[in-house]
Amino acid sequence: MSDLSTADQIAMYVGGGLVVLGVVVIGLLDMLLGAGHPVDSEGAIEHAAVVPIDIRAGIILLGLVIWGLVAVYKFAAGSAPSGSTTGQTPSGMDD
Amino acid sequence: MSTQSIRTRFLGTETSFSVSGAWLSYWILLLRLTAGWWMLHAGLDKIWAWPFDASWFVGGAAQGTILAPFVTPFSDGILLAFVNVAVPLGQTAIGFGLILGVLTRTAAFFGAFMMLFFYFINGYGGGWANGMVTGELLGIMVFGTIVALGAGGVLAVDNRLREMELFENTRLRKLLG
Repeated sequence: MSDLSTADQIAMYVGGGLVVLGVVVIGLLDMLLGAGHPVDSEGAIEHAAVVPIDIRAGIILLGLVIWGLVAVYKFAAGSAPSGSTTGQTPSGMDD
Repeated sequence: MSTQSIRTRFLGTETSFSVSGAWLSYWILLLRLTAGWWMLHAGLDKIWAWPFDASWFVGGAAQGTILAPFVTPFSDGILLAFVNVAVPLGQTAIGFGLILGVLTRTAAFFGAFMMLFFYFINGYGGGWANGMVTGELLGIMVFGTIVALGAGGVLAVDNRLREMELFENTRLRKLLG
């Protein structure tokens, strides 16, 4: 059973995919393929990034922006939720 | 203690798991309270120390970051005056919204929106010294969790607002938790 709309799928797969790519996948590549990540006396990591930090930040930013845009779209374009008032499962993200 | 069964198709596979309704409600409330106090504290601190001047952030710290084209135009004139008011009042409103559960989903959305700027500008400013997973990114994830779960159903004013004609069966209801 899947009740995902196209907007849901864009948010989940494109938005989430970009965030995971930027945070996790590139982070792993940096660790495995990049130069060492020595930690200085203050605990700060000295980066030697395989993927330039601007590109990595841009990928994460794009993912977050897609999430935000889909949230706005779902409010603006979706139909009004229906159902009883108190105690029901909130439906704003469901349609 | 009631246990809810979640069944859905996700990433091409049938997924099912159980979650305790009581623990889920409890945890949602704690997320709201901690994230809410985070914002409320930040907002009220700025209001107590009024006037607040964000020029060091939007005009200084934002320089050279990926958000500079969007943020630095707000570094003087009427746009800076807007930021100087919008940030403290916005943080305070978000904080109250999350703690009391008023327009919970809206409050969390704008919390994530605001945190996006802090994440990238503070990250660049600190040279991402501790990696790209920072408190601000986790904050975005917490706010996103509150938006996704509609956390205004637990000990929240939204439960009362939902009964009002303004919100009942209208699109505005999505603004609530």
